[in-house]
Amino acid sequence: MILQPSNTEQLVQALAQASARKEKIECVDLSALNRVIEHTAEDMTVTVECGATLTALQTELAKHRQWLAMDPPNPDQLTIGALINSNVSGPRRFGYGTIRDYLIGIKVILADGTVIHSGGKVVKNVAGYDLMKLFIGSHGSIGVSVEATFKLRPLPELEKFVQVQCKSLEVADRLIEAVIKSEITPVVLDLHQISKPENNAVTVVLGFAGTREEVEWQLAKAADLGFNQHSSLDYEATFWADSTLTHRLSVLPSTIVRVIRNLDGAPFIARAGNGIIYHRGTPAPRSEVLPLELMRRVKDAYDPNHILPELPL
Amino acid sequence: MMHATVPTVVSAEVVDALCAIVGKENVIYGDEELLVYECDAYTIEKQLPNVVVLPQTTGQVAAVVKLCAQHQLPIIPRGAGTSLSGTVLAVTGGVMITLSRMAKILEIDYRNRRALVEAGCVNAWITNAVKAQGLFYAPDPSSQSACTIGGNVATNSGGPHTLKLGVTTNHVLGFEMVMPDGEIIWFGTRPDGGEEVDGYDLRGAIIGCEGMFGVVTRVLVQLIRAPQMYKTMMGVFENVDDASRTVSDIIAAGMVPGAMEMMDQLITQAVEAAYHFGFPLDAGAVLIIELDGLAAGLDQQAERVIEICKKNKAREVRMAKTDQERMELWKCRKRAFGAIGRLSPNFLTQDGVVPRSKLPEMMRFIRACSEKHGLRIPNVFHAGDGNIHPLILYDEREPDQVRRALEAGHDILNMCIEMGGSATGEHGIGVEKIDFMAKQFTKEDLDAMRTLRRIFDPENRCNPHKMFPGSKRCADFAPRKQIAA
Ligand SMILES: Cc1cc2nc3c(=O)[nH]c(=O)nc-3n(C[C@H](O)[C@H](O)[C@H](O)COP(=O)(O)OP(=O)(O)OC[C@H]3O[C@@H](n4cnc5c(N)ncnc54)[C@H](O)[C@@H]3O)c2cc1C
Repeated sequence: MILQPSNTEQLVQALAQASARKEKIECVDLSALNRVIEHTAEDMTVTVECGATLTALQTELAKHRQWLAMDPPNPDQLTIGALINSNVSGPRRFGYGTIRDYLIGIKVILADGTVIHSGGKVVKNVAGYDLMKLFIGSHGSIGVSVEATFKLRPLPELEKFVQVQCKSLEVADRLIEAVIKSEITPVVLDLHQISKPENNAVTVVLGFAGTREEVEWQLAKAADLGFNQHSSLDYEATFWADSTLTHRLSVLPSTIVRVIRNLDGAPFIARAGNGIIYHRGTPAPRSEVLPLELMRRVKDAYDPNHILPELPL
Repeated sequence: MMHATVPTVVSAEVVDALCAIVGKENVIYGDEELLVYECDAYTIEKQLPNVVVLPQTTGQVAAVVKLCAQHQLPIIPRGAGTSLSGTVLAVTGGVMITLSRMAKILEIDYRNRRALVEAGCVNAWITNAVKAQGLFYAPDPSSQSACTIGGNVATNSGGPHTLKLGVTTNHVLGFEMVMPDGEIIWFGTRPDGGEEVDGYDLRGAIIGCEGMFGVVTRVLVQLIRAPQMYKTMMGVFENVDDASRTVSDIIAAGMVPGAMEMMDQLITQAVEAAYHFGFPLDAGAVLIIELDGLAAGLDQQAERVIEICKKNKAREVRMAKTDQERMELWKCRKRAFGAIGRLSPNFLTQDGVVPRSKLPEMMRFIRACSEKHGLRIPNVFHAGDGNIHPLILYDEREPDQVRRALEAGHDILNMCIEMGGSATGEHGIGVEKIDFMAKQFTKEDLDAMRTLRRIFDPENRCNPHKMFPGSKRCADFAPRKQIAA
């Protein structure tokens, strides 16, 4: 069953009914719930309905020179709900973190139609358990998030990107280590090879954001390390525009080059500072040990009739 | 101080078994010895646990917890006992598991900027260990030279510098926890693993649970690069409103200082009398603003801050000229509570939060509250976060003052909630703020929290009688002296 509520009350009723009848919900289309409810610029917080797209939200926030410091792929299609459900992120993650660092309040409709809140509107809050975190990356499996409150950041005065082409992964690895040991504080530290060039070069990209003085000082420092070529995040757009299936790996950051070497030359983008690798080709075998029994209990407790999608693991 | 009868009974046989697990020298029982463990830094309510155990390994913790499970005994995890909300209180007795003998820094991985520490490791030790390499552990509660990482995880601690960098949940990558049935589980990122972990963010759901989901034994923290430079300024204002407006204007100008801390006239006078920093005694408010980060451009930012202060009628803005001066200023701020002794025999502190823009209104309300209840209420707080710390002064020898102090505290927290804020930004609910849960949350919200509790601790045995309305209370209830931050 696909739900297309035009307001929260309809969603509450539809979920309660589906729960009672044990009908599976494949998808909830929240596109009608797309308002920016309240942007308090002086508090640097915003409350938004989860059907709004990230681009729509950022456009609104930009009027006050603020932003939700997230840059996942395809923001014009990505809704706030999907951003929370899938916990996606982009290249600036190295500098700004992920959605869990910005979500300060949430309103969720649980599987049986119960409306709950967690967190609130203030940036510091330890009243009660932090239920918010359960919904991040939950793929809609335990409730439907309908409203979210985020803390925001000021838009940086200036942002610049530079890159180096390295002739091998080993050279890139040493360069990345040098960046990490240096005094610069890039917001982007990416390693990529989105198509195989003849010389087999890989590219290391740095991004700087902040005041003009901060950015310029860092550009000079980066140049000392060999980052002399201007760059942009175009490789991101190119990589994600290709609809080929992408796999994600999350490893200890210092081991990315070792992991990439095993990808058999498949196109990849790595968030070198975070140890996240997106790649094409064959998925690597997973060996992660997760507390699955507890996760099953979470699902059973909040969606006892299993009407919402299962958590993909 | 009298103690209500402890409903939990721990047999001699169980005590022997505990001794067998951790060694006799790591088990404390007998009322005299247990006195240290009768409360945390919230001293209004007290209760002795039956036994305190001080394990030295995760294996020992697990064995102790299993034994308690077999005998249906409450377990109370404890770090340094600096909590300000009574969340370490053994409300009905039980076995207190104190992590102070598991305090080692196990591994520091500079390349990946991670440190693996035992849960009893003191917060400040981590930064001390890595600062030579230009790194630090960001959350800096004012109690950081005493409180433990395990306690920080359990209370999701923040500090003066969380305005820019966030709180514990933003800096703890993962941890090992002994579940209430004794099972040992790692949550979140493993020491040799990637930062993204599939499935529900149970790490995130556990952080801030006030020790009610299990005993944390090892913690993997993220380290970050220390700022190249600090610019620490002190703005002197005629009144709190002007200082509050300055805070909002700095944020509105697109700057995110490392910290913005406010002291009103009463507290400034007390701090000056105690530490002789040179604070003006007739100023309505003092604002400490600290910019940090790369040195490049920080001067220009400081100039803008000064301009904004002036625009809001600051009488003067002083800049710390040396690192020494900066440390002095922070020492005054972090020790402000200690100066209160000069003003009053006792005080009660709250840590409610309001949206930053509501600060002037909140300060006016606190003043009205002070008049209404006939008690002085100095304020020293994290203005950048909207996190207030009114210190309600009273004398415990006057029962009527005690009553009025409690009432004033309640009025203020109710107002925080009414203004769209929270009853607690740092200290947690514990036993102290249980009554505010039903005001801040709906019945459904609370049920959803109870559901989470049952997932981790179906028998409600881990740190019981906390957080939820309807919990058991300690029999005796007489406000006594309270220390705080
Ligand atoms: C002077 C002073 C200043 C303070 N300043 C601040 C501040 O700026 N910011 C702030 O956030 N707080 C502050 N606090 C409050 C307090 O220091 C913090 O809450 C701190 O995190 C508690 O750590 P602890 O080791 O003392 O834990 P405890 O007080 O022993 O315990 C606190 C809670 O954590 C649980 N717990 C402890 N260890 C574990 C473990 N290993 N596993 C599971 N649960 C555990 C306990 O059961 C309890 O619920 C201050 C307190 C004082 C006295």
